Amino acid sequence: MERRQFITLLTAAGTSAVAQRALGRTAGFSSEGTFPSVGGKTQANLELVRYPQKTDLILLADRPPQLETPLRYFQSDLTSNDAFFVRWHLSGIPTTVDSRTFRLEVSGHVNKSLSLSLHELKSRFKQVSLVALAQCAGNSRSLFEPRVPGGQWGNGAMGNARWTGVRLKDVLDEAEVKAGAVQVGLRGLDVPPTPTTPLFQKSLQIDHARDGEVMIAYEMNDAPLPMLNGFPLRLVVPGWFATYWVKSLSSITVLDQPPKTFWMDKAYRIADNPEGNEDPQHLAAATVPVSAMPIHSIFVRPEPGEQLRAGTSYTVQGVANDGGSGLRRVEVSTDGGQTWSDATLGTDMGNYSWRRWQLQRTPRAKGTFNLMVRATAGDGQTQRTSQWNRSGYQRDIIEHLVVVVA
Amino acid sequence: MRKANCICSAVMTGLVFCPSLVGQTQQSPKASPKKVGNDSVHTIVLPQYPPEIAAGPHVDTYRKDCLICHSARYVAMQPRFPQAVWEKEVKKMVDAYGATISDAEQKEIVEYLVAVRGASESK
Repeated sequence: MERRQFITLLTAAGTSAVAQRALGRTAGFSSEGTFPSVGGKTQANLELVRYPQKTDLILLADRPPQLETPLRYFQSDLTSNDAFFVRWHLSGIPTTVDSRTFRLEVSGHVNKSLSLSLHELKSRFKQVSLVALAQCAGNSRSLFEPRVPGGQWGNGAMGNARWTGVRLKDVLDEAEVKAGAVQVGLRGLDVPPTPTTPLFQKSLQIDHARDGEVMIAYEMNDAPLPMLNGFPLRLVVPGWFATYWVKSLSSITVLDQPPKTFWMDKAYRIADNPEGNEDPQHLAAATVPVSAMPIHSIFVRPEPGEQLRAGTSYTVQGVANDGGSGLRRVEVSTDGGQTWSDATLGTDMGNYSWRRWQLQRTPRAKGTFNLMVRATAGDGQTQRTSQWNRSGYQRDIIEHLVVVVA
Repeated sequence: MRKANCICSAVMTGLVFCPSLVGQTQQSPKASPKKVGNDSVHTIVLPQYPPEIAAGPHVDTYRKDCLICHSARYVAMQPRFPQAVWEKEVKKMVDAYGATISDAEQKEIVEYLVAVRGASESK
């Protein structure tokens, strides 16, 4: 690998501002390389909590739970189940599931309604396995400027896992979808807190549901799903944001007309233009549901506030992904974007997985450096330099990281 | 760091596997929950955390109308926003999420939110 010293570049962000911020949180860098606060708390004061079947995660909210994965867990190809982020929409989340009596119902515009036990699902359909990144559409929301309301995630609302289950297509084929079907409605065991609150329901176009890739998973990293990640079944929609990955999936309804559901019609929508961008002063009139993940890359090491030593070799690391075309290239700049070097790509686990990358460098001079990372997808898409939308979705901007070399 | 309590009731003992008890001592991905007896019933007990409720005008209305559906951390984690943003958020809770809150109480809640997480309009 080509070696080059960091070029000193003093940035607007001072050393003290960086040093005051805390270690530990999944990299939270705005486009200016600074660290957003969460609820007025500095990154250091974010609370770590331990939920059932989980290790210490960052508590954003407790009812319903929103738990963020600390950055250090992204130093491996697969994110362990106990470190995997948690996000539910409705406070009535399932806390007890009897795997003997649980049934997955398949109904609607089909010839043959099904009510499948877990045993039937596992024994009657072919088992498939796939590594795929689950990423919340609101991942990195706290980094948008101007700030937007919603779960104030850093970069830790995602995780990469090996999913094992059966093809949704095979289950739909067993139910014999009737001609004229247009969409498939999906619902889990979670229930709304009041009778007037809409159920959490998502839907996919029928062709997407039958593409042979969308999966009903019963294992995550070769173990049953943790309750908080959707035991006993979770829909896996490779390449698409995790809002479609319905947890504790219990009901599949084939529809002959598009459904009217809050979670498709009102929530998880983005400006209807190729980049999903809008101006805070002039919000887009037309919106569409979020869908596939755009090309995206983040730093994993160094972590916020970590100091590098002049003259000591350091391996900058991160992860990158897109929505399924694969990863062509990751480039890193240590001089605020003046020059770029190719990072070494890690294990290729398939186009729906993230891919780790690294770049070894020895910073020669002391000072403050502005690191940047940009990825190029298999389909040629690259990352952009500015982005904003009212809901803080699908953040995919070129990330800046201010690093102090002492 | 706080830990979740996993309380297996007497009725469930022996039937339930109790993940968090195991999870507290093992953190590796291999720390799959120990299965005790018949493992068909999977149960977790969600931890309870003291609510973070900032003092402010109409805090009782906020408690009564908002915290039915979500904990106070949903507000506590937000950045400071101008009143117009908070008005939109409260309206969203009513129109989109089906919260039943009178117009008068919506105004009180906005006042509370602006007091605890407000910002000037120029931001």
